[in-house]
Amino acid sequence: MRYVRRVLGGLISLFVGLSITLRELFKKPVTLQYPHEKPSLSPAYRSAIKLIRFDETNSHDCVACLACQKICPSFCIDIEGGKVEGIKKKRATKFTMDFALCSLCGLCIDVCPTVTLEYSKLYDEAGYNRDWNMDLLEEFTDYEEQFITEQREREEKAAAEKKAKAAAAKAKAGKNEKAGKNEKAGKNEKAGKNEKADKVGGQAEEGEA
Amino acid sequence: MSTEPNPEPNPAMAPDGDPEVYYLNMGPQHPSMHGVLRLVLKMRGEEILEAEPVIGYAHRAHEKMAENRNYLMFLPNTSRVDYLSGMIYNIAYCQAIEKIMDIEVPERAEYIRIIACELNRISSHLLWFGTFLLDLGGITPFLYCFDDREEILDILDSVTGSRLTYSYGRFGGVTMDVDSAFVARTRAFLARMRDERLPKYRRLVGDNVIFRERCEGVGVITRDVAFRYGVTGPCLRSTGVAYDVRRAEPYSIYDRFEFKIPTRVEGDTMARFDLRIEEMEESCKIVEQAVDGLPEGPIMPAKPKKRYRPPAGEYYFAVESARGHFGTYIISDGTDVPVKLKLRTPSFSNLSSMPDVLRNTMVADTIAIVGSIDVVMPEIDR
Ligand code: SF4
Ligand code: SF4
Repeated sequence: MRYVRRVLGGLISLFVGLSITLRELFKKPVTLQYPHEKPSLSPAYRSAIKLIRFDETNSHDCVACLACQKICPSFCIDIEGGKVEGIKKKRATKFTMDFALCSLCGLCIDVCPTVTLEYSKLYDEAGYNRDWNMDLLEEFTDYEEQFITEQREREEKAAAEKKAKAAAAKAKAGKNEKAGKNEKAGKNEKAGKNEKADKVGGQAEEGEA
Repeated sequence: MSTEPNPEPNPAMAPDGDPEVYYLNMGPQHPSMHGVLRLVLKMRGEEILEAEPVIGYAHRAHEKMAENRNYLMFLPNTSRVDYLSGMIYNIAYCQAIEKIMDIEVPERAEYIRIIACELNRISSHLLWFGTFLLDLGGITPFLYCFDDREEILDILDSVTGSRLTYSYGRFGGVTMDVDSAFVARTRAFLARMRDERLPKYRRLVGDNVIFRERCEGVGVITRDVAFRYGVTGPCLRSTGVAYDVRRAEPYSIYDRFEFKIPTRVEGDTMARFDLRIEEMEESCKIVEQAVDGLPEGPIMPAKPKKRYRPPAGEYYFAVESARGHFGTYIISDGTDVPVKLKLRTPSFSNLSSMPDVLRNTMVADTIAIVGSIDVVMPEIDR
């Protein structure tokens, strides 16, 4: 008798299960036919890092401080660069990243003092070999000379502005008879954003060393 | 079949002259062994006389890697220790460093962390649920729960940018803020999970007589065995011990939420199954409370430090992962590179109890038993 009850119980639960799956059968399928239908990328999607092109300079702002290279846990960033003739700003001359090693942790992005790194949205990358060394400067090299010329102009302009400001401050200070204090304030003002970035980069470098 | 089961012979595994005794290797490449676990079984007929788990196939030297990089650089490793609940491990490591260095975490970041961790716990339990039933021969539930899990992964993807190896936590906060779309999606998921999916799983699987017959009384972990091996998580709670780090030593802001620590007394496979389903429900409750209470504000401290140098000493910090008590043990000498970083992973202790649990069971139950303790091999090997 007990045996019969068990078999019956088993049968009933079997039919309960079947009814659930049967109902599921008539629902809209949740499977996405991938290569034909693509889901939209998440806004936070992370892929290989890239250098941001800033509107004001139409170029990246990497000052080759090597902070990202030092923090990278996969040791996959390789940067060279330094002082460029004619401008105050330091520039990277080589910036490669081995995407095959990158763990997409984002530490390099966090640490960059000039905020010039971001994730790209590459997503269906495939290759026939293991060489995933990406040259992040590639899209900027053609433009680099022009950038330097423009940067020199920008720096000269900034320097001239600074001078004018200092002169004005001095004149004002002379009138107010508080010369010492105000002149000091004028000197402490930074020429522009770029020089500041250079400084921060330098600091990060010292900090890391 | 092998006659040389282990390079370091375990006396219990030695052939004892009985011609009927033979050895069976289950894994490391067995379709229903979890990851790359190898079980050497000493058997007579269908009965297991002795079992020995062999580990080390997924060893990646995470602990050693920690010793030659600074604290920040270890962050991406943490979610690769246990890739099924990577968020919990990632956040746990951040919390350990924060505790050592007295870093204040903004309120909003704490709430986001709780939401992310509990969602991750649900997704981990869902994956276990699917694969466990797959091992037992039920394919349909696997498809249903992967649909749910996919939704969680999408939700987490929308804020972290990745699906498994999150690297979402930073010392002092999280990398990205959540928006109203995230909150709405989470709420929708919770409603669907509680109203539709969990009751369905109960009816489809939990109440199924065939399934119950297969699981009841199988693979009993006694309280004594659990204590001896340091078994934690649902496996320990299935023996009637209400130990959950979230309650026993509340970390983060878990003391603000109301949730139950479900327990069972049977200690068998069925108890562990029921527990995990209930735990998903409790996690849903926590997520709901956290979403309701989500405050506005920053997600990182105003001035995050550039370098992290914990004062010299030894530190231990534990959290409740999806599998049990996960501890981070750090020995610092005051520099920014740890002298030793030991990860206490729950699966290791849980698996260690297997020889005792598997003794005198049938080989056909092995899959059900090992599946029910929910081991993740990369977590054991690290
Ligand atoms: S994301 Fe991480 S691993 Fe990748 S390049 Fe940046 S620091 Fe290195
Ligand atoms: S941290 Fe930023 S500025 Fe410094 S080297 Fe890297 S990309 Fe360039």
